[in-house]
Amino acid sequence: MNLLWITPEIFLSAAALLLFAGNIRRRRIAVGFTMMALVMAGILVLKFIYENGSVLETAAVDGMSAFFKLLLLAGMSLSLGLANDSAEMKEISWGTFCGVWLLSTVGLMMLAASLDLILVVVSLELIGISSFILTGFLKREKRSMEAAIKIFLVGALSSALFIYGISLVYGALGSTSLAALAGFSFQGPDRLCLVGGLLFVIAGLGFKLAVVPFHMWVPDTFEGAPTPVTAYLSVAPKIAALALLVRALPFHGAAGLSPLLAVLAVASMTLGNLAALRQTSVKRLLAYSSIAQMGYILLGFVAAGTLGLSSVLVYSAAYLFMNLGAFACLIAVSNESGSDRLESFDGLARRSFPLALLATVFLLSLTGIPPMLGFVAKFSVFAAAISERWFLLSVIGVLNSVVSLYYYFRIVHSMFFSEPSSSVPIRWSWGLSGCLVVSALITVLAGLWPAGLLAWVQQVVP
Amino acid sequence: MGILSAIVFVPLAGALAVLVVPEKKRNVIQAISVMASLVSLALSVWLLARFDVSVAGVQFAEKTGWIPLFNVHYFLGVDGLSILLVALTTLLSFLAVVASLHIELRIREYFFWFLLLETGMLGVFLSLDFFLFYVFWEVMLVPMYFLVGIWGGPKKEYAAIKFFLYTLFGSVFILLGMLGLYFASDPHTFDMIELAGQASRFAFGFQIAAFLAFYLGFAIKIPAFPFHTWLPLAHVEAPTAVSVLLAGVLLKMGVYGLLRISYPILPQATRWFLFPLLIIAVINIVYGAFCAMAQKDMKRMVAYSSINHMGYCLLGMVAVAGSNAAAGLSGAVFQMVTHGLITGSLFLLVGVIYDRAHTRNIDDFGGLGSRLPVFTALMTVQAMASLGLPGLAGFISEFLCFLGAFGTAAYRVFVVVAVIGIVVTAAFLLKLIKDVFLGKFNEKWAGLTDMNARELIAVVPLVILTVYLGLQPHVALRMMEATVSQIAMIFKAG
Repeated sequence: MNLLWITPEIFLSAAALLLFAGNIRRRRIAVGFTMMALVMAGILVLKFIYENGSVLETAAVDGMSAFFKLLLLAGMSLSLGLANDSAEMKEISWGTFCGVWLLSTVGLMMLAASLDLILVVVSLELIGISSFILTGFLKREKRSMEAAIKIFLVGALSSALFIYGISLVYGALGSTSLAALAGFSFQGPDRLCLVGGLLFVIAGLGFKLAVVPFHMWVPDTFEGAPTPVTAYLSVAPKIAALALLVRALPFHGAAGLSPLLAVLAVASMTLGNLAALRQTSVKRLLAYSSIAQMGYILLGFVAAGTLGLSSVLVYSAAYLFMNLGAFACLIAVSNESGSDRLESFDGLARRSFPLALLATVFLLSLTGIPPMLGFVAKFSVFAAAISERWFLLSVIGVLNSVVSLYYYFRIVHSMFFSEPSSSVPIRWSWGLSGCLVVSALITVLAGLWPAGLLAWVQQVVP
Repeated sequence: MGILSAIVFVPLAGALAVLVVPEKKRNVIQAISVMASLVSLALSVWLLARFDVSVAGVQFAEKTGWIPLFNVHYFLGVDGLSILLVALTTLLSFLAVVASLHIELRIREYFFWFLLLETGMLGVFLSLDFFLFYVFWEVMLVPMYFLVGIWGGPKKEYAAIKFFLYTLFGSVFILLGMLGLYFASDPHTFDMIELAGQASRFAFGFQIAAFLAFYLGFAIKIPAFPFHTWLPLAHVEAPTAVSVLLAGVLLKMGVYGLLRISYPILPQATRWFLFPLLIIAVINIVYGAFCAMAQKDMKRMVAYSSINHMGYCLLGMVAVAGSNAAAGLSGAVFQMVTHGLITGSLFLLVGVIYDRAHTRNIDDFGGLGSRLPVFTALMTVQAMASLGLPGLAGFISEFLCFLGAFGTAAYRVFVVVAVIGIVVTAAFLLKLIKDVFLGKFNEKWAGLTDMNARELIAVVPLVILTVYLGLQPHVALRMMEATVSQIAMIFKAG
């Protein structure tokens, strides 16, 4: 046992407590401090990147947890940059906001490293409660309150399902460790109890991943939450939950879970894409698109094996940067227009060509057009599915990609083809441009030269 | 960096350079664009001169690792199949840039997308790694979407997204087929040459499935009946220079893909599909010709004639298992080149008259011959070439295609039916010339001026090449000879 290995989490928690205690109201101080804390935590994670062990058999410290922790820290710092520059977040108590932000980061990092279902529950609660607070942070806005209530109720429901599930799993296995779950053969007398428990666990995680049919809360919550928080909600909790699934599911082939996951994947892709076609709010459009994107990721779990699981990691990385980039563009536009309607993108190419070009990069990546990172992600997912002979599923998947082009390109259409609705130039600020530039660089460069990312992922996948 | 990489990426460098120039400096943007496409053209001329016609395999190959995990390489190379298409692409791109110099609207974006498109097209013809091929294939769609959607005609936005969705629909199946091939090969590879070497490993059922997947992608690009509906719309709405590339280069990619990928890698399935391909070729030829005849809009007429002309390519290709295999295949490859030259120039010429008269309706004109002698002469020569008049390039390639298909006894009936297409093509092109250039002059057009220097620079090289290749076809044919007979050998042996 080596408690030093969890210094990043301890460090972040301490920083959060400092922020609460200091009751800082100045934005610059709070955000600057938090940014530094996130970077420091990243450096600490890097320090243990070659370790391979666990803390108390509960939290893994290995290549994969380092991969996901770094990804999550990157996501949290980029979306904090968005929060810093969003016009919605003017008069809030920044110390509290940043403290909750850091606590939720701790929850996410622990979830990504969990080896025991009890730790999973604790971290899920930490993420759930902090998401609820962040969503409702605009106390004077009705929509923010409504979204907070929704995410609270759904969070409570999913936790209940999850905890009930692990109680059944414990009944069958006599243990809550993921290792015991992986080693269990599905021939024993407790089979039914175990499978039932797993189904509840999957349903509980399904809410976090927002896959169909556990997705109903997403559009309203995403629309009501402050946009930077929506950006956070759309990537961080999902990626942490994916990390847990990668650890927990390698055994699933034996349980025959692949067909079930395949159904969830098809439902998510198809319903997400079809619903996105009709949206007029870009925020809602991105909400439905995130549902569809999770469907593609699930294909990696359906295929399983090293190829399937590594495709999940690649897709997680791609999704994080391209989705945050898309949200950054939305915030840049709506800061000026005060609206997230599609029309506020009208003629963006003539108001700010660089921004329109960056937005196009992210949307192309979300569609899966080369040479963006999103293409590499889709390519790996479909490669995994084809290698395991899931042909029909792959066909449904690629057809869904074609459908998604239509709604992603409605934004491109309005940016490049429509007349500008206003001539006010777009203001660039540090946090926003930082997020845009970093996401775009990674989306393009890692798309052109994916060898490094793929090799890293290959190394850390179990 | 090798010569091929230079040819592909010089336009990209130009595109990026254009992006940093302020919109107001029109001259700088235009100069960069002309230079970038000119350098690429010069390099490909140099390539033509250095190309060894006696070698059937790949020349000037460049191969380095790219994504080791999937055994993907950055692999460029040129052979008899692609050399002329590369030259055609750089030539048409350069001429299309010249023809676009009068554009005023958002020119920085225009030339950015235009040069990006050129890189995509050249990449498709030069890559020999399937993954790389696919990347270029998709990269090409994006600039095309913007070029049609911003600078196109009245229904440009609809045409742009229809083109994008249609071709993406086809190409995702290429992606699946390519993954299927990858996992069926051993060792797993995306290298087209290696895959062709492993062709005997692939089971017949698998070959059929893969062929269908590829065919869907390629047929949409050709476009082969019944996947042709995007073409008239996109052609008519696209700005002149983009129509030139669409017809001159993009349509070739479907045929090229079949010859480069489906034929050598899936020979058994190809053999099985020859007859359906023949039927589709005949439908394309006859149906395309009749559709063209029904058009009043000159641009639409030329667009439909492309469907007819790509039918000849398919006709030449189905000859592969017959006794005139080499003639048919050479005809198909040569037809791609001549169609690029002829139809490219026809689109430019239609653009010339549209820029002046703001209409393309055949009935609106009449007797232009006496007022616009240069325009009339060029248009007449290219229309004659398009209908296959001996002495011009179109005749040679069409003749070879028919000769090839005639080599298989069972196909002769269909070849005879296809001849109807030639007759109809002659009919509508002659009618076009009669209605526009001959007859009574419509006084409404008294103010029309003949072609200016920019337009002449864009069109005349194409006309000269059409005449030259019509008189000296062997100059082009000997470049493809070795490679074409190699493909024919695959089918002789099996």
